[in-house]
Amino acid sequence: MTPEQKLAALFAAEAPPARDHAFQARMAQAIALRRAWMTVAALVPWVIAAVAVLWALTPVVGPMSDSLGEALQPAATTLAGAAVTVVAALWLSRRFNGRFRGPFNAR
Amino acid sequence: MGGLQTDAELVRRALAGSDAAFSRLIERHQAAVRGFLRRMLGGGWAEADDVAQEAFLAAWRSLRSLREPAGVRAWLCGIAWRKAQDRIRSARRGAARDNLWLETVATPVGVSPEDRMSVEAAMAELPSDVRACVALCLADGWSHGEASMALGLPLGTVKSHVARGRARLLKALGGPDDA
Repeated sequence: MTPEQKLAALFAAEAPPARDHAFQARMAQAIALRRAWMTVAALVPWVIAAVAVLWALTPVVGPMSDSLGEALQPAATTLAGAAVTVVAALWLSRRFNGRFRGPFNAR
Repeated sequence: MGGLQTDAELVRRALAGSDAAFSRLIERHQAAVRGFLRRMLGGGWAEADDVAQEAFLAAWRSLRSLREPAGVRAWLCGIAWRKAQDRIRSARRGAARDNLWLETVATPVGVSPEDRMSVEAAMAELPSDVRACVALCLADGWSHGEASMALGLPLGTVKSHVARGRARLLKALGGPDDA
């Protein structure tokens, strides 16, 4: 073999396969993980806002719950928090559905 | 049907939120990017694949910055080139890992292990930009213009780097000393 042929053979030996499903699977996993972190990061401001709203509503909800009775206060607070969470989750899921799709969804 | 789509169409779909389209781009260009990094970094293939993964993730994040969707391969290799430079500058590379790789890589028929080690040593001695030009133009058959675009180097510099690198590698294999 000439030096040129040897060099070409050595370069060819280093070439990855044209298709590598293991590498693609690793990439899919890495992108899904990155997407999950991006989604969490996008949710943080909304969670903070929801907590602030609930805190601001405490003076209003407090006297009302007094009139309804001491027994209903924990349930009402829990229901209000759950309702806010559900509404926020539904709205966010619609908002991010187009931007952050599931990992490697077909489109 | 998906296999007939051009890179530009896949980029457009990926920008619209299609992970399947980006997956197709990875499938289409992973061999070029990983091959370039294997030759560029010279060490273990696992390290090159790590850098390739970083490069594809960076590409996924910055897909909007791709100005010429048809030139996605050069753009990807440009990102890989910058990631490889970062890796070379960092202290994360280990001689032990490189030696392990040298023991495990199969030598092609007709090439002696000594030849392979000589070429590896000659590649390692080349400056990183010369090595990158050699990896793209000599090993992968890119045109000088494509390599120039991917690496952000002037065309004349790419040509001289390829010529110089080729002469050094051939000399290591017993070729004429015209470096």
